[in-house]
Amino acid sequence: MIDTAGPKSPAAASLMRRPDRGTLTRATVITAALLLALFALPPIMTGYYTDTMTQVAIYCIVTLGLGLLVGRVGMYSLGQLAVLIIGAWTAARLLFGTGQPFILVLIEAGLVTMIIGSLITLPALRLRGLYLALITLMLSGAVTVVLATLNFPNGGSGFSGYNGSFLHIPQIRRPSFAGTDPAYYRFSVIVAIVMFLLVFAHLRARPGRAWASIRQSEAASLAAGINTTFYKLWAMALASFVTGVAGALLAGADRELFSIDFPIQNSITLLAVVLMGGAFSLVGAVIAGFLQAFLPAFLYQVWGVPNDWLIILFGVGVMQVLATAPGGIADQFPKDMKRLYRFIRRRVRPPAPSPASASAKGGETA
Amino acid sequence: MIEITDLTVRYGGVTSLDGLSVTFEAGTCGLIGPNGAGKTTFFNVLSGFVRPASGSAQAFGDDLLKMPHYRRARWGVRRTFQTEQAIEGLTVYDNVAMVHSPLRGAARRADVLAAIEFVGGGRLDPDARVGTLGAGQRRFVEVARAVAGKPRLILLDEPAAGLPEGETAHLTSVIKSIPEQSGALTILVDHDMSLVSAVCETTAVLDFGKLIASGPTAAVLRDENVMRAYLGTAEVST
Amino acid sequence: MPSWSDFQPFIVSGLALGGIYALSGVGLVVLYRATGVLNLAFGAVGAMGAFIAWTLINKAGAPGWVAWIACIVFAGVVTLGYGLIFGPLLAGRGPLVQSVSTLGLALVLFGAIDLLWSTSAGQSRSITFPTDNGGFMVGQVQVNWTSVIGLGAGVVITAGTHAFLRYSKLGTAMRAMANDREITGTLGVPVRRVEAAAWFGCGLLSGIAGILLADLAALDDTTLVFTVVISSLAAALIARLRSIWITFAAAIVIGLVHDLVTPITSLTNYRDMTPFVLATIALLLMPRGEILTRSREEG
Repeated sequence: MIDTAGPKSPAAASLMRRPDRGTLTRATVITAALLLALFALPPIMTGYYTDTMTQVAIYCIVTLGLGLLVGRVGMYSLGQLAVLIIGAWTAARLLFGTGQPFILVLIEAGLVTMIIGSLITLPALRLRGLYLALITLMLSGAVTVVLATLNFPNGGSGFSGYNGSFLHIPQIRRPSFAGTDPAYYRFSVIVAIVMFLLVFAHLRARPGRAWASIRQSEAASLAAGINTTFYKLWAMALASFVTGVAGALLAGADRELFSIDFPIQNSITLLAVVLMGGAFSLVGAVIAGFLQAFLPAFLYQVWGVPNDWLIILFGVGVMQVLATAPGGIADQFPKDMKRLYRFIRRRVRPPAPSPASASAKGGETA
Repeated sequence: MIEITDLTVRYGGVTSLDGLSVTFEAGTCGLIGPNGAGKTTFFNVLSGFVRPASGSAQAFGDDLLKMPHYRRARWGVRRTFQTEQAIEGLTVYDNVAMVHSPLRGAARRADVLAAIEFVGGGRLDPDARVGTLGAGQRRFVEVARAVAGKPRLILLDEPAAGLPEGETAHLTSVIKSIPEQSGALTILVDHDMSLVSAVCETTAVLDFGKLIASGPTAAVLRDENVMRAYLGTAEVST
Repeated sequence: MPSWSDFQPFIVSGLALGGIYALSGVGLVVLYRATGVLNLAFGAVGAMGAFIAWTLINKAGAPGWVAWIACIVFAGVVTLGYGLIFGPLLAGRGPLVQSVSTLGLALVLFGAIDLLWSTSAGQSRSITFPTDNGGFMVGQVQVNWTSVIGLGAGVVITAGTHAFLRYSKLGTAMRAMANDREITGTLGVPVRRVEAAAWFGCGLLSGIAGILLADLAALDDTTLVFTVVISSLAAALIARLRSIWITFAAAIVIGLVHDLVTPITSLTNYRDMTPFVLATIALLLMPRGEILTRSREEG
């Protein structure tokens, strides 16, 4: 029995989500920032910063995947470093061993990573969240061990593609249309945008709603007939895929991969920056990418600050975010800015006696 | 009809259900008992969250215990929780639409909206984000979830807990209309005896995981054993 | 394939390592049962304690035993401090959030160790015990005293913890809290004090493990903070964070398998994967039934 006696037709309303002013502003700002990143930055950046910003774009994809897991589904994974390594390794092997076009290699690396990442975490998905965190931490350990022996491919032959006796290590090739550093930077940004859109599309559709439900109450989700294991697997598969793609981009960016560039503490710092940047929003993922890839390079270049200080900062950040501000910077910063704005406005314009008008739109005084 | 035979649940040295055997015929049935009697554990077994050590649960001829938890919802088990579990990040519509339903497309949309309307009485806005709603309204969203789709067995776990007086009256009339609305068998657990006697034709009483009484509600509430079991906890008054 | 006599020395070292993993694992499990927090920083506090001990011995000229006690006390105090501050701050947030928070502590300590004891000048540091050089023969195998201490510590601490939990008032209180924290509080048990004792105890065990591993394995931050943590965690996970005797057994197995793989040349480089492989197998075999009940918050 359909009842349309409500003030507006509910069916039509839910189909057409009228964007409010906040969403429009955000969309404009994001588009502007992206255009800036693509066109305004490359000419003014030095080689060092072009490299750094390429790393930022790549790590934004990684934090996107982890943010999806942590923020949207409530799955804490400490294994994204392992996934990144697998993606980079696969891409390097394919780029050296085959003549396939770069974009195809990107996708293949993503798929391989997706399969491996999902399979390994599958046993833990049915269990308590804590077990997933533990098994992914151990996965990171295991992969770093394997990497130390196997090494990244460097143009050699055989399965591992590694030849320890090479005197001159060939560089991993780049796409023909993005060979130079600035061009590769733009290419990375575009791939990042595509990955963000992919995740965004998922969030708007059925998986996104199922994930929101699972994050808050797995019991209620099961009671509603949602196959929680399936959706968790989907989230892990998606996160692994984008991280694998990021790994492939990394192979092309660095052109020579070394295992010491992937120390095991990064599996924890990745989680740290995602929490600090804001696990619940896509903007948070970008902030996290900057924390992971830009901040260390910037601080070292400008003030000679060793990386260890940042590790300490990230450690403190994790504890602080979990204790007081679960939404991270992305959530806290606008709130702090609003508070700052109200504070300033109260100084500039003496407030009306009643507290209600302080948060009113016009701020009219009596 | 639901037939429970010899259901036993043990966890860590505690026996929460002890060879429970009970039959729920049709319509709305009450399930009462002091705290810790095993009522929520019973619901957990039916929903598939807890695996019993032994026993069986046959519902409308199907063996419930053979199905994995998420399949039971597809079969038609619905449930609300002691602390409401409406999903804050989604709208009322999305919350209710989340439930598995055999309907598709426009028919499904109509069904979801009808469920919201039926339970909310016109006061629940399908587009409102549940996070912005008060506790009472969230409870109604949960109940709407329970009547959407094609439910066959609805388990209501203390739906009136924490509701203000006015909303309890509305909830009472909603629960009363569920059997004719959907044809589902409803089992209601609550401590509010006036709600139970207003809504349930028959009631079963648990204590220490065992059945101590069952039958027409009015008779059960006057039963000596039941009063003794409740001594010191909720008052038994109609 | 190596011969039996090639394996023998690794049985000794494997048992010693296993013993240390066991005492760490037991500390983890007891703390988890009493407070609901899995202290993932236990490797880091032990590591820093070991480095502090090294500085005391090599820069301040302190006698060995002073340094080792300083290490253990340091670990206990830091862990206790963390628990006193972040226990209440994160109360009720669930084991996952609280355990991830300890990772923050681990990062802070890890970064601090790198800063204060950097390896940029290429120096390698080590901790040695006087018992490293003495020993005895079992058949054809040389067993040094330190290995005995390693295994012995594991056995003594597991048995001691078992007795403590069963027979002492504090231990019984911890067991009660593991079962149901709220009810225990209403029974008049000083919940905060019991938790503090659990944190401190876990910290002391981290210190003991840290100094022993610094001697038997290496005084290296990555090894002490991560590699050994993973092994002890695997043991605790195999015991489902529940039984300390299964933790002990699993830890011994992990230590043995890890070291016994060493002489097998085709596998030797991958032996650090042992905890991961064993834990994954355990997860695959874990029954589902009770796990789902625990993931719900209601009673």
